[in-house]
Amino acid sequence: MNADAQTNYVLEATDIEKSFGATDVLRKANLRVAHGEIHALLGGNGAGKSTLIRIVSGSLRRDAGAIEVAGRPDYDPSAIAVVFQELALLPDLNVAENIHLPHRRDALGRIDRRQMRDLAAQALAMIDPALTVTLDKPVSRLDLHQRQLVEIARAISSGAKLILLDEPTANLTFADAERLFAALRRLTIVGISILIVSHRMSEIRAVADVCTILRDGQSVIDRRPLLEIADEEIVQAMMGDGRGPAAAHAAAAHPAMVAGVTLGLAKDQLALTLSPGSVLGLAGAPEGPAGVIGALTGSSTNTDWSVTVNGQVRRFRSPADAVRSGVGYVSGDRAEKGVLATLPIVDNLAAAGRIARKRWLVAPSEVQEAAAALQRLAIKAASLYALPQTLSGGTQQKLLIARWLNLAPKILVLEEPTRGVDVGAKREIYQIIRTVAAAGSIIVWWSTEFSELAQTCDHVITFDLQGAISGLLRQGEITEVAMARATGMAA
Amino acid sequence: MAGSAPAGLDARPAGAVRRLVATYRSEIALGIAILLIEFVVSFWTPQVFSYGNVANVAQSAAPLVIMALGSLLVIITGGIDLSVGSTFSLSGMVAGLAMSAGASWPVASVVGLGVGIVVGAVNGLLVTMLGLAPFVVTLITYAMGASLAFVITEGHSIALLDPTFYLLNGGHLIPGLANYVLFCLVGTAAIELGLRKLVMGRWVYAVGSNDKASRLLGIPVNGIRLGVYVIAGLLAAFSSMLSLSYISNSEATSGANMMLQAIAACVIGGASLFGGTGSAVGAALGAVMITVIQNGVNLIGINSFWQGSVTGLVILVAVLIDRLTKIRA
Repeated sequence: MNADAQTNYVLEATDIEKSFGATDVLRKANLRVAHGEIHALLGGNGAGKSTLIRIVSGSLRRDAGAIEVAGRPDYDPSAIAVVFQELALLPDLNVAENIHLPHRRDALGRIDRRQMRDLAAQALAMIDPALTVTLDKPVSRLDLHQRQLVEIARAISSGAKLILLDEPTANLTFADAERLFAALRRLTIVGISILIVSHRMSEIRAVADVCTILRDGQSVIDRRPLLEIADEEIVQAMMGDGRGPAAAHAAAAHPAMVAGVTLGLAKDQLALTLSPGSVLGLAGAPEGPAGVIGALTGSSTNTDWSVTVNGQVRRFRSPADAVRSGVGYVSGDRAEKGVLATLPIVDNLAAAGRIARKRWLVAPSEVQEAAAALQRLAIKAASLYALPQTLSGGTQQKLLIARWLNLAPKILVLEEPTRGVDVGAKREIYQIIRTVAAAGSIIVWWSTEFSELAQTCDHVITFDLQGAISGLLRQGEITEVAMARATGMAA
Repeated sequence: MAGSAPAGLDARPAGAVRRLVATYRSEIALGIAILLIEFVVSFWTPQVFSYGNVANVAQSAAPLVIMALGSLLVIITGGIDLSVGSTFSLSGMVAGLAMSAGASWPVASVVGLGVGIVVGAVNGLLVTMLGLAPFVVTLITYAMGASLAFVITEGHSIALLDPTFYLLNGGHLIPGLANYVLFCLVGTAAIELGLRKLVMGRWVYAVGSNDKASRLLGIPVNGIRLGVYVIAGLLAAFSSMLSLSYISNSEATSGANMMLQAIAACVIGGASLFGGTGSAVGAALGAVMITVIQNGVNLIGINSFWQGSVTGLVILVAVLIDRLTKIRA
């Protein structure tokens, strides 16, 4: 196509097709990664990114298309390694043992421990020389960032030429993310290639050289240097023909006007009073925001936050107490803390109302309410009786928000509501949050993406890496830089 | 079916009957499978469809149906109750002792049911308060219950001499309908409706579907857990009373095989041991199917040692069909 037609690719996947039943997930998708480059794979939820990764890494069979690794169609699958968000290390084994795991043993299954340590030390030194001191530590004692690097080391030591990283910085501090990026750049020098999936534009810009963008199973941008492509063009390529803004417009929900309250939050030196319709951001390492969220949702009773509603001190004894007092809660950890996966959509939507209204019987009106909530947020579902897993991640997230809209919550607590959600769905969720606030709800919103807090919040409480309050930003002071400085986290 | 228009979101077919058929598709298939088994058996012994044999099958299925309904609730929450068989034996022995001591059968039965409630409460409290795994907790109560059933009578069986005790099982609270059938129908309908129409019933599914999300929503997860173990214990004891009233002899090993059969009934009926799914109608039909197989093996004249193998095969087929239909959906 251009100059790099001559480049030797480490991975060349051409015209990959895959369908599940009647759904075409990949339609002639291409992915070409050159030696020693950091390549960003971008695309909305449901664009086919994870399917393509699974096909390339050999865990899923393709229907059609060709894959060559270093020019060979009959490649060794261990040349391509995937580091998922849920890391695949054995926590009770030490670092050296984990790195050695995929290696051959002798006929009796014995391991030469000297050789094992040497091999592991060698792999770690390539990535981050500071890591070699961890060789004999059990993996469970390492922090998240170190575990990621150990997993990368394992891949390299078993011969990986291409390493796929799926949202690697989601829970990293600013310093750790920088160290990860430095390690990745070091690997490219020795010719190893990196494929990174991320929803964070700033970090893609910071680390990647080239991008491929998928939409509806096709590679709409097939290998373009990031220097040659503007943010707006990337978003355009991901969203297609203005589908995003239109959907966002449809998502301009009209929730019932909320009988607003004022919310007071106080801890240590900080005291803050929020009026109806205000949006409070929480930024920083998880421990800090978790304290506020625990106090507001009644999920942790030993909290040193003091909460006042309309000037009255309130201590929520349980989540049910909080829900009945008008507090809604939405988590971005959908699988763990949100979706009732074996129950149909209608039950997922009615779940909060059943608590808030203290009902004993399943009310027939729940069906209409659920249908109305779906319509209001422009959620496309085949049926109210389908399971939530038939929806994409971003749509499931909207479902969890929709759960609260009929109840007109006085306070809506959001915990990373856009985690793992594509740009289009993110925009819709921001729009929904603004509309809910405009109707008089107070929003309390923890996010690790500072850009979204900067766009929407009128106050932000920042926490340092130990979880202590490090500051309060007011309107006009809320910038990504200010938040990164006050929290020590990657923006 | 897949109406995408807003009004079509309620994509269930119109009309009460068609809606029922759509909802209970797999249960209806199970019913047909039971009839097919009977049909095959009828090649050897045409009398399977005789009134006598049908009544016989229903009467021997009844205790298992009742027990399976309780096990089902526990399984839907993602738990397991291994103690129901022991509870069956122990409550039977206690009720037998009470009758030997001169208590009338209603009093003795209430005492027996009390034993079930106590065992269920112990299970539920250990699971919720100490956070122990249901498998471990009910393994403990299973072992202790089985042993206590021997201890209290030193292993002797007890002949139940109250001449009117048979009325519990064989009487007719509603003229023309034997009690054992009545209890099965009422029990199944009550659990099924409770699971579908009571908010608490939906919570049973929610707990099994996502424990943490349920807690954060404000669902009383511990209350639901405690409740299902108590109901499972109570129904195991009731199942025992029903069986005693029919056999009129209480033995310390009477419930030994029933726990696995009750779990099997739930699985055949579509429940997942991971929790979050299952229906009372399915579990009841699963229990009937297990009994029908036992009856069929007897009628054909196969050595009854084969019963377990045939039941195992049926479970395998049921699970495979469930898996295949889920992949297609």
